[in-house]
This record gives sequence, C-alpha cells and structure tokens, in this order.
Amino acid sequence: MRERHGRAGKSMVKMFGAALVLLAATLAGWLQARQFAARPNQIRRLILALKRLETEIMYGFTPLPDAMRRIGEQAQEPIKSLFIRTADNMDSKQQWTAQQSLEHAAMKLWGNTAMKGSEQEVIRQLSYTLGTSDRQDQLGHLATAVRQLESEESAAREDQARYEKMYRSLGLLCGAFIVILFY
Amino acid sequence: MGPSWLDVFPDNLQSLLLKLPPSIFPQLEEIRIREGRPLEINTGGRYYFLTPAGEVTRNPQAAYKPEKQDSNRLLDLITNHSLYTMEEELRKGFITIAGGHRIGLAGRTLLSGGKVEHLRDISGFNVRIAREIKGIADPILPKLLDFKHRTVHHTLILSPPQHGKTTLIRDLARQISSGTWGHPAAVWPGRKVGVIDERSEIAGSKRGVPGFDVGPRTDVLDGCPKAEGMMMMIRSMSPDVLIVDEIGRPEDAEALAEALHAGVRVIATAHGSSVDDLSSRPALAKLTDTFFFQMYVVLSRSEKGLAFKLWDSKRRGVPFAGAAWKGGEEHG
Repeated sequence: MRERHGRAGKSMVKMFGAALVLLAATLAGWLQARQFAARPNQIRRLILALKRLETEIMYGFTPLPDAMRRIGEQAQEPIKSLFIRTADNMDSKQQWTAQQSLEHAAMKLWGNTAMKGSEQEVIRQLSYTLGTSDRQDQLGHLATAVRQLESEESAAREDQARYEKMYRSLGLLCGAFIVILFY
Repeated sequence: MGPSWLDVFPDNLQSLLLKLPPSIFPQLEEIRIREGRPLEINTGGRYYFLTPAGEVTRNPQAAYKPEKQDSNRLLDLITNHSLYTMEEELRKGFITIAGGHRIGLAGRTLLSGGKVEHLRDISGFNVRIAREIKGIADPILPKLLDFKHRTVHHTLILSPPQHGKTTLIRDLARQISSGTWGHPAAVWPGRKVGVIDERSEIAGSKRGVPGFDVGPRTDVLDGCPKAEGMMMMIRSMSPDVLIVDEIGRPEDAEALAEALHAGVRVIATAHGSSVDDLSSRPALAKLTDTFFFQMYVVLSRSEKGLAFKLWDSKRRGVPFAGAAWKGGEEHG
C-alpha cells in the first residue's frame, strides 16, 4: 500500500517535471521566434528615427542633443532609450563627443533590442561622422546608414519568414524529444 | 568647478588649465590651441606655454602639444556636437559660446564663387575669455555726457584688438541704462539702450537672455547683423542710445548715418589705434569726415592698466585727468 502510494507519487513528480521541460522548451522557442519577428520591425523604426534626424538637421538646424532627445521622446522602445541615452551622454559633464555618446549608448542598450551586431556596426560607423560636418555631408552619411539598415531589414525579413515558424515548433519538438529521452 | 568657459575643453586640457597657479588663472585672456604645436595662454599682454605637468614655460619644446584627437573633441564640444548648426559662424571664422566667450577658428577654407563657403580641417583655436568688469567706464562716462539733451554724445571707441572695447561698451550700456552717470550735475534718469550684439559678445546672451549685466533698460538684439539690426532696433524698440560693436563695413556706415539722423545717440566701436587711422579706412572715413561723432575715445592697454584718450568731433584732443583705470573688482 505504502509502496504503491510512493510509486504514484514518483510518477506524479515525473509528470510534473516533464510538463515543466515541455513548457520551458516551448517558451524558449516562442521567444526566439519573437526575436525574429521583432528584428525587422525595430530596424524599420530605427530607419524612421534616422530619417527624422535627417529632417531635424537639414531643415530644423536643431543641435544634435536636442534633436536626439526630441526624436527619442516620440519613438517607441527600444529606439526611445537609445536616443535619449545618447542625448543624456552628450549633455553630461563627462565631456564626451557625439561619437563616444552614441557608441556608448548603443553598446549598453543593444542587448535589450532584437537587433544584431551588424545593425550596431552601422550605428557605430554613423557615430564617427554625426555632428562633425556641414549639413550636406551629414545628409550623405545618414543616407548611407539608412541604406545599410534597409538591406539589413530585408535580410531580417527573410530570416523571419524562414525561421519564425520553425523556431516556434522547434521549441515544442525539442521539449517533447527531451521528455521522451528521459521519461 | 571652474568658470563656465572651462566646460568646452576636453577633460585632459581642462585638468591642465586647472593646474595653473592662482596668480595666472584669474588673469587668463586667451587660450590658444594649435594642433601639433605648443599650447599657449595669454594673460594681460604676456604669453606662456603650458607643459604636460601644467606648469608655465617659455620654452616651446617643453610644452604640451595638443593632438588631433584633442582638437576634434574641442570642436565637438564647442559646437554642441552639431557643427552643421554653425555654418554661418564658420564662414565668419568664430563661434561664440555661452557666457559671451568667443572662439576664433583657423583651418582650411572651402570657397564657392570666390567667397568663403565653409571651414574644414579646423586645427587652430583661440578661446577668448569674456570678462565683465563693472565700473571700467567710470572715468570716461562723465566726459561723454550731453547736458543739453540729457543724454550722451555720439561716440566712437577705437582700439586695437584685445584692448577691452567690448568690456568697455558693456559697462557703458549698463551705466547708461541704469542712469549712474558719475557726474554731480547729471541728474536725469537712465536711458533706453539698444544693443546690437552681432557676435553675442556684448551681452553674452544664451537663448535670448543676456548673461552679463547690461542694465535694467537695455534691449539686446542677439546675433543680428549690425546694419540691419540698427534699423530694426530704431523701428521696433525706440531706443535712446544704440550700442554696436566693431563697425567697419560700408553698410554699417550707412546704417549708422541713418541712426544718427533718426535722433538716436550711437556708441560704436571700431578697430584702430588713433583717430588719424580712420581717414584711411574708406567705410569709416565717410562718417568721421562729416563730424558725425561728437567724441572719439582711444583705448590702449599696457600691463599697468587701461588708458583712455579723448578727441572731439574736430579731432582736437580733450584734456582728460585720471586717464587710467587700474584694477578693481573683476567678475569672471
């Protein structure tokens, strides 16, 4: 009687564990799929923010910190914190240049975004020229950055089409595989 | 914390400057940064180089030589990270920062149609520290009074660069607008003063609000070309006295003539070291030959202090006692 009770308890724990593994694997796959879906959207929003920056520079003559802050306040996360952090860095007493400010903000915050290293590299390259030349030149550099980001965006969309569904089901399948293996 | 102009320097230059002995630091007038060449500071007519340890020397070999990175960072900080907002300033060759400090720039010019279009590869900086010296106009203001009309004479102030013209007219603006005439018989109240501050140096305005004390009845037109500004002021702000800095172009002279006839008193400054210099400058000769200005003041500064000389409209010397202003309170 007691032994049977123990066996039932054991299988209960086993069942619970299996369910937990299944749940975790599904969740991991689902999150990964969501990253694939979020990346092209975030790149698109970054492009739109850079285009607004272009307008601020070209027609508004707005100083870079003010322009960054204004665009940041109206944008959505994670673009919001990237721009506002950059503006904060520029306005701080640390005597940072625009290049240091943007690069530092990107380095600190990139982990929170769905974007990858190649997009960060575009921003890093842009940071070297931002604010250091006349308007025509600034326009050229911003246009280059936008073009590079657009190609990253279309690559990201392809990845999304290819991997988003796959990762969603892969998580569940992996979970099931582990459960079968150890049950 | 140092004075406001320190904020534009990158931290390494800032710490060098903060190491300056207290006998020199408050006297600083110019800090000259030339890429790859010694870091120079100027105080009241003397110059020194700065060593990497922050000591002063006259030996160029021992001096700290700012690198490309230093000048890039300095430019970034001066322009508030936004060189593209400074296109007009670059054409003129200087940028005025908060506090009225002016930074002269040297680099390679880009021409367009024979005119300077842009300045690039900027490698030379001259940071001129603006000082507010209240009371510097005390010795000469009583001499400029027009008792009949209860105001001041049309006055042209002459001096070579770096002799304190701007400091002097800033104090004149303050005293005229607050009515501290410095003469027992001058009992009328202060006058409305209009300052046309093309380079933001006189009032040191930030976002339109003067950073220096220019007096309670003073209006400042910030960043406005002088010729246009004088007409705008006369039309819109009904000033009794107009104050402009560094006239010298033909259109300035025309606008001045207009203002002088509009019943507004004008106090202007120009580069020059004597009244006779004026006749040789075409734009100014027209004004001075027709007795527009009732009073000429020539400034000269030596290590002892500031000295004034006065001439009347017919260029006769005016006897002037107590011709020097020595020391006093300084406001950084």
